[in-house]
Amino acid sequence: MPSASEPVTTLAARRPAVMAGRAARGVLLLLLVVAVLSFPSLAPNPYILSAGILVLNYALLSTSWNFVGGFTGYISLGHGALAGLGAYGTALLVTKAGVPSFVALVVAALAVAALAVPIGYAALRVRGASFVIVSIALVLVLLLVFQSWASFTGGSRGLTVPRPFPDLLRPEHHRVFWFLFAGLLALALLVWWVIDRSRFGLGLKAIREDEDKAESLGIPTFAYKLVVFVVSAGFTGAAGGLYALWFGDLDPVFQFSILTGSYLVLMALLGGVRSLFGPLLGALVVGTALEYFKVEYGSTPLHLVATGLLLAVVVLFMPDGVLPAVSAAIDRFRPAQQSIREVTAAELREQREGAETELAGAGPAASSTKERA
Amino acid sequence: MSERALRTEGLTKAFGGVVALDGASVAFRHGQVNALIGPNGSGKTTFFNCVTGMIRADSGRTVYRGRDITRAAPHAIAHAGLGRTFQLCRVFPRMSALDNVLAAVRPAGLLGRLRGAHGRAEVDRARGWLTRLGIEHLVDVEARNMSWGQQKLLELAGVLMADPETVLLDEPAGGVNPALLDRIGGLVRELNAEGRTFVIVEHNMDLVMSISDHIVVFDRGRPIAEGPPSVIRADERVLGAYLGV
Repeated sequence: MPSASEPVTTLAARRPAVMAGRAARGVLLLLLVVAVLSFPSLAPNPYILSAGILVLNYALLSTSWNFVGGFTGYISLGHGALAGLGAYGTALLVTKAGVPSFVALVVAALAVAALAVPIGYAALRVRGASFVIVSIALVLVLLLVFQSWASFTGGSRGLTVPRPFPDLLRPEHHRVFWFLFAGLLALALLVWWVIDRSRFGLGLKAIREDEDKAESLGIPTFAYKLVVFVVSAGFTGAAGGLYALWFGDLDPVFQFSILTGSYLVLMALLGGVRSLFGPLLGALVVGTALEYFKVEYGSTPLHLVATGLLLAVVVLFMPDGVLPAVSAAIDRFRPAQQSIREVTAAELREQREGAETELAGAGPAASSTKERA
Repeated sequence: MSERALRTEGLTKAFGGVVALDGASVAFRHGQVNALIGPNGSGKTTFFNCVTGMIRADSGRTVYRGRDITRAAPHAIAHAGLGRTFQLCRVFPRMSALDNVLAAVRPAGLLGRLRGAHGRAEVDRARGWLTRLGIEHLVDVEARNMSWGQQKLLELAGVLMADPETVLLDEPAGGVNPALLDRIGGLVRELNAEGRTFVIVEHNMDLVMSISDHIVVFDRGRPIAEGPPSVIRADERVLGAYLGV
C-alpha cells in the first residue's frame, strides 16, 4: 500500500478555523433551541402561536422531503400526498377504529412508510422530469380517491378528528402541539444528520452526482434510493398525522394538493438542500411569508405570485440556497487562507505548478494548458 | 494458455437497426494486461457496457471467473471484482477528491452503512490512492474544479479504492498529455505486477503495443484477430479493418 503523506501545512492552518466554525455552529444551535423552547411563552396571542405551528409543520415536512431531495437529488412534488395519507390514516384510525390518538399517529406513519415501498419501487425507476411527473400523479390520484370515496373518508365535506386532549383550552392545546412538532422535527434533523455523515449518505450523494457512475462503483443505487424514500415517507406521514391531531379537520383538497409539495421544494431550495438546517430556514422564510400574505391579502391568490417570484429569484441568484450563499459570504471576511475561494485559487496555482514539475519530467515542455487539452 | 478471467459467448446488441455487437465471443486472460482495439464504431464501448451490466445484451453470455454475470446488476458485477472507468471520464463533480474515492467503500450491513464515512482507516487508504496517482494535494478540492487529466486520475483512484481484481479502462489515454500518458502506462504495468488484470480499450497504438500482453481486435461488433502485440502488428485483417482496405 502506498503511504499517505499528510499535507501538514494545510491541516494545521485549518484547525483554528474548524474550531471557530464548530463553536459558531454550537452557538447557533443553542440559540435555535432556546428560540424554539421560549416561543410559546413569547407569542403574544394564540393566533401567532398557531401560525408558528404551521411554520414548524412546514419545517418538519420540508426536512422530511429533504431526505430524498437533498441526498439523492430526486425532486418529489408528491410529498403532500404522503402527508395527506398520514393525516387521513391517523384520523380514520381514531374515528373509525377508536384507536388512541398517538398510537394511531405511529401506526399511520408506519403504514405510510410501508406504502412507500411499492410507490418508491415504481416511481424511483425513472429519473429527472419523469420522476417529478410520477410524483405529481400520486397526488392527483389520491385526491380523486379521497374525494370520491366519501362514505369512508368524508369526501369534500371533510373529516373531523377528535382532539387528543379534550380538557385543554385552545392556547394550551397549541402549546402542547408546538412542542410535539418541535420534538418530531428534532428527531428528523437528527436522523438526517446521522445519514449525512454516514457511508450510506455518501452513497446517496454519489447517486445525486451521477447515478450510473455510483452503480458502477458498486453502490446498490436502487436499494439506497428506496430506503431513503421510505424514511422520508415515514417522517412525512408522521408530520401529516400530527397535523391532523392538531388541526382537527381534514379536507382532501388541502391534504392532497400539489401546492404543498411545491412549497416544500421551494423551502428546501431556498434554504439549501445540502444543509441540515436549509429546509428549516426556508420554511421559516416561506412559511412566514405565506401566512403574512394570507392574512393581508386574504382571498386573493397574491401569495402564489409572491412564492413564484421568490422561487425564480432563488433559482437565478442562489441556486445552492441561502445557507451556502451566506456561509460563502461570511467566509469572505475570514482570514485569507480560510476563504474557500482563495484556498481554491491557491490550490489551483499549486496544482498547476505541481502538474508542471511532475509531468514535465526531463523538460519543461509539458504545460498546464496541454494537460487541459 | 493462462486462465480466462473474463469471457463472453455470442454477445449481441443492436440499437434499432445498428448492430453494435454481433455475436462477440471473446476471452481475456487473468493476470495480464489485455487490450481491446478496433476502429471507431466497432463496438468496443458497447462491449464494456454490456459486460458491466450498464446496458443489457440482446443475447449471449458473460462469464467472469466461472460465474455467469450476464443478467447481474452493475453494482453486483462491481462486487464480483470488475471495476471500470468511462470513456468520457466520470467523477462526482460536486464532491471532494477524498469523497469521490471514499464513495467506492463497500460497507456491509445496516450498522456498517450508518457508520461515519470518514473513518480513519478508509481515509488513510483513500489518501494512499490519491498519493499514488499523484493528486494527493487535491484531496479537498471538488472534482469539478480539476483539470481533465486530474479528473481521469481521480476516477482511476476511485475505481482502485474498491479493490477490483479486474479493471476495465475505456480510453485511458483520451485527451491526456504525453507525460501523463507515460505515467498511466507505468501505473497499469505496476498494478498488473501486483496481480490486477486489465482490459483496456484504447486508440493510442503506442500505448497499447507497449503495455499489453494480449490484444483483441474488434471490427463491426466482433473479434477479428487476437494475439500478442507482435502478431497483431503484422496481421493483415487488422490493417484492413483500420485502413479500410
